[in-house]
Amino acid sequence: MPGNASGLHLDTSASDIVEIAALRGRAPDVARIALERGVQLPALGRAVAAADHLALCVRPERWLILTPPASVGASAAAWQSACVGLGAVLDLSSALSTLEFSGSQAREVLVRSCRIDLDAQAFPVGTACATIMAQVAVILVALGSGLLLLTPASTARHFHEWLLAAARPLGFEPPSQRNDAAASDDAVGCGDKPS
Amino acid sequence: MLRIRCPWCGERDETEFRYRGDASQSRPAADAGLEAFSAYVYERKNPRGWHLEWWLHVGGCRRLLKLVRHTLTHEIRWVGNAEDQASLPREPGR
Amino acid sequence: MQGPARIAEGLLTDAARPLGFRFDGQRMQGVAGDTLASALLANGRRLVGRSFKYHRPRGIVTAGPEEPCALVDVIGAGGREPNHLATTLALYQDLVAESQNRWPSLGFDVMALNDRIARFIPAGFYYKTFMAPGWAWEPLYEPLIRHAAGLGRLDAIVGEHAALAETVHDHADVLVVGAGVAGLTAAHRLGASGLRVVLAEQDTVLGGGALLDARWAEWRETTCDALAGLPRVHCLARTTVLGAYGHGVFAALETLAGADAANLGRLRERLRIIRARRVIFATGAIERLIAFPGNDLPGVMLAGAALGYLRRYGVAVGRQPAFFLNTDQAYESVFALAGAGIERVGVIDVRSGSLAAERARVLGIEVHEGVVVEAVIGRGAVGGVRVANRDGSQRREFEADSLLISGGYCPATALASQLGAALKWQDAIAAFTPELAPAAGRVAGAARGVFGLAAAARNGEAAARVIGAELGHASLAAGLELALPPDAEATPIGALWEVQARGKAFVDLQNDVTAADVRLAQLEGYEHVEHMKRYTTHGMATDQGRIGGLVGSAVLAQARGLPLAEVGQPKARPYAQPVPLAALAGSEVRQHLKPKRRLPLHDWHEAAGASFVTTGLWLRPLVYSRQSGWQPVLREARAVRTSVGVTDVSTLGKIDVQGPDAAKFLDFIYANTFSTLAVGRSRYGIMLREDGMLLDDGTTSRLAQQHFLVTTTTANAAAVLEHIEFHLQAVCPQFDVLLSDVGDQWAQFAIAGPRSREVVTALVADLDLSGQAFPFMAASAATIAGVAGRVFRISFSGELAYELAVPARHGLQVWLAVLAAGRPFGIRPYGLDALNTLRIEKGHVTGAEMNGNTSADDLGFGRMLKPQADFIGRELSQRAGLHAPDRLQLVGVRPVNRKRRLRNGAHLVAAKARTVSLGYVTSSTPSTELEGWVGLALLEGGRHCRVQRLLASSPVHNEATEVEIVSPHMIDPENVRVRA
Ligand SMILES: [Zn+2]
Repeated sequence: MPGNASGLHLDTSASDIVEIAALRGRAPDVARIALERGVQLPALGRAVAAADHLALCVRPERWLILTPPASVGASAAAWQSACVGLGAVLDLSSALSTLEFSGSQAREVLVRSCRIDLDAQAFPVGTACATIMAQVAVILVALGSGLLLLTPASTARHFHEWLLAAARPLGFEPPSQRNDAAASDDAVGCGDKPS
Repeated sequence: MLRIRCPWCGERDETEFRYRGDASQSRPAADAGLEAFSAYVYERKNPRGWHLEWWLHVGGCRRLLKLVRHTLTHEIRWVGNAEDQASLPREPGR
Repeated sequence: MQGPARIAEGLLTDAARPLGFRFDGQRMQGVAGDTLASALLANGRRLVGRSFKYHRPRGIVTAGPEEPCALVDVIGAGGREPNHLATTLALYQDLVAESQNRWPSLGFDVMALNDRIARFIPAGFYYKTFMAPGWAWEPLYEPLIRHAAGLGRLDAIVGEHAALAETVHDHADVLVVGAGVAGLTAAHRLGASGLRVVLAEQDTVLGGGALLDARWAEWRETTCDALAGLPRVHCLARTTVLGAYGHGVFAALETLAGADAANLGRLRERLRIIRARRVIFATGAIERLIAFPGNDLPGVMLAGAALGYLRRYGVAVGRQPAFFLNTDQAYESVFALAGAGIERVGVIDVRSGSLAAERARVLGIEVHEGVVVEAVIGRGAVGGVRVANRDGSQRREFEADSLLISGGYCPATALASQLGAALKWQDAIAAFTPELAPAAGRVAGAARGVFGLAAAARNGEAAARVIGAELGHASLAAGLELALPPDAEATPIGALWEVQARGKAFVDLQNDVTAADVRLAQLEGYEHVEHMKRYTTHGMATDQGRIGGLVGSAVLAQARGLPLAEVGQPKARPYAQPVPLAALAGSEVRQHLKPKRRLPLHDWHEAAGASFVTTGLWLRPLVYSRQSGWQPVLREARAVRTSVGVTDVSTLGKIDVQGPDAAKFLDFIYANTFSTLAVGRSRYGIMLREDGMLLDDGTTSRLAQQHFLVTTTTANAAAVLEHIEFHLQAVCPQFDVLLSDVGDQWAQFAIAGPRSREVVTALVADLDLSGQAFPFMAASAATIAGVAGRVFRISFSGELAYELAVPARHGLQVWLAVLAAGRPFGIRPYGLDALNTLRIEKGHVTGAEMNGNTSADDLGFGRMLKPQADFIGRELSQRAGLHAPDRLQLVGVRPVNRKRRLRNGAHLVAAKARTVSLGYVTSSTPSTELEGWVGLALLEGGRHCRVQRLLASSPVHNEATEVEIVSPHMIDPENVRVRA
């Protein structure tokens, strides 16, 4: 963000997210069908980014496929009909929030709660994992552009606030945060008293 | 603190797991009767030594692990998935 | 200007930067780089506190974290913080500190009377004295003890301005604890070979013993520079490793540079959780005291500390120091002080004919050999010493203004002990060294008894080689090849623990434990070193007995007539140093203490004026009003009974279950049957634990032949998911079933009330909602206000009701459409309170009744348990005890006097036996339709209760309300409404 001393960037963006879980022994079939649909399913602990999607795997024989937002459930429905009898296809577009965190100090902020070794050698681009941060579940993906974080929607605000607080000592001061502060000062100035 | 080498996720902090009890107990057959089920639910050896345990990786892959841990030293000798067979190491003099 | 005792430039101090500070109200000046202790000493300040038990005057004893006496309160804008160590507290401009444990002032302490009556307060005094009578404890003894004992005073303002801390997670190939010569060598060799090294040093600078020996200055600088240039080496100064927790996990406390009590609202501490594949403990050795009468007087200090103050801060601790020592190593202090121009230096050496004594004499220093200090002369400060032969003969006195003592050195074994190291006695150094299993780590340098800097460097290098080889570096990259200044040849230690003479000889200066106390403990049967420790409190103060711990063990060994090797030392446990609670809490405090789960429509609810309640982690709308009392709640609930209401039930747990064996698996998980459920239908289900008690309930729907959606209660969502995940993998691995948590995916709204069908019909075009086509417990996919979702005809309120589920992102759109469609009927959003009112009247249970102690039978679900097939909890639910007629069973209660209220938790008692509880009220509410209050209760044998009336007794409210026992289904018991 401009004017930011920390060089950190935090972006939230909506994606369509589909989870595909293979039934017993069906993972190869799912992978084949995915390939036919232009998606290479990565191995456990890995992520594959393509021009129009990101596929990642943090649970055995289960994949998340992120695509730009389209009409409600369309992506899930398409995968659903392709995978009949092979596994469970779930629309998780609303269940997970995505945060993209980048900049030279991004990993430095995340080690304030992340127990995973995020050293660039230990967690190189293309790595994905599920873990706990700030007491909530997080899926971390190392992308060329930074780190992608997926967190449950219900705790997304909590996580976001925690992240901002953790980044503050490193000089990160998001503009929106300043606006909020200004807004609340105004409210007090107007004599708006709580009942 | 334990560090548990999840077969799927790699080495992780104990914090990510939920302990699910003695894995040497297996659920009796439906018709095994009250005594067998009482033993399954309530009776534990509580050994001083090697112990077969269930751990659920709730903060990671959500898979159930079976592992062999020493209750005195916390050494974890073996970790496998739920279906793997494991035998407890013998300890000399016990 | 910077104090009369500052005689030279210090290694750490900057004379050009004076700093003003206040101690006990007195203005003084130090310089940048000082600790509070060095600044006080520079100002000639000796007396810095009063002792814990006897209120004896105490001074500064050490120059580091092992300090037992110089504890101070620091007063800042954030409040008063006790127990700062003056010996490690970095001085800053305008620091305000006060001495502790003195009343009314340090110089005149009323409690010092304790010192004169010491005969009456021996070890175990509190145990023995404050025994009986019990009533006296609270009003009398406790305030008395609290006033007399204790150290600092806690008076911190806890709030936004309090100091912050954070947690950082570190990973390394090798953790090296201690940056003395051994640690620096090991860290450099490993780091230069490409290994990832964390080097943690408690001191503000790296170097350890090399800081105190000018010959090692160049070696130290070159090595530190080289380390700084290694990208994979992370050097952490001011970082104390607090605990070794096994599996390569360590906790360390980093005190941030420039952070101090004046620095509000900024980070002060950082807790580091370090995970390392290997560890090297190069923690050095700690000088120990000798027990002799008066060894606690201000002016008595460890010899090594005097060396530290001179080299590091340029401060001479005395102009006429007497040394009392028993090793050649301690002579380094003698030579340093003499070399710095202190002329009147005298040495009392326990031994005779040591090499160091010879060297001292050559330098013209007066040395008395084969003698001991029997007493310190002076009251309030050292004025001289009385020296005698070891048998007490040939007493003589010497003038001295300070007494610098050294009883030898104890390797710092605490961390190694935490990893299970055995302690092995070493006669050569009269101390224990740790025997650490190779798999657990390595100990190097003085920590393993290798004294002498050159020897320590070589030892650190050897440790690095072993660790490097274990980590796949059979040969390490070349070292710096620096010349090591040779260690002087030394005469062995002449072990001396105690000089027995008249007067108090302390083994623990912070807890005021004397050698006599230790002997008393032994006499009274507390012979084991761990028992002696607890009886006398030796080593239990914040300094953990670092400088006197072994001395106490030695006194005990002598009393027991056993070798010290056999008596041993108490086991060290984390933390190795006191830790501020704020540092342990890290960033997970205040608003980040616990995660908050927010509904997809949280902002709407907030804007609509909802009061929120936290249930589990969720923030849920309690009632859409800021007005207190039941009226707003009843307004919402009555809308449901009379017309229509809508509530956000997105907090319910939702688990997607798919696969060929999904139906069979649910039959095993639930006590009732789901395999017979038709596609497009829902069923209420109950789950038991394997011990037969109720675990959870909820509605499960069959969306397709092999596809179910399980709902759980809000509170149990995570636990139920774990429960079924565990059973699928551990007990039913043969089943091909996929479980997915879809709780956050769906926003779900209950639309309830007699007009609800009309509202839902207006929203759903592609579904026939007539009673016949979509009866009670039907479920279907549908397009709701243009959004693909699901409709369920289920009811928690007891009214005709539907639940609509849509992807949470589109929740607001659908919620607004519901409100619009319901406007003609006066639809109201209702909160958790109204939801509760409705379900209580209907006799539906929640966690208040399903509380872990109730069985299916207790709550009236007995007939739901399937008789034929197996399920979790089946066998043990049949235990006779769970069917005993006098078990607590669910009933309804209503006050006989309709004007009286009910209270949750009130006990049900018979009027004639009011102290015998027959049960208790679990939930209660004013009713929407019935007159007055209604409640649910668990009552002994409630279902077949013959008594019609009991008292609901709430002694805490001083209330006893007569209640009648009724059926829990107080509204529409025939279930007509839900089937409308
Ligand atoms: Zn895992």
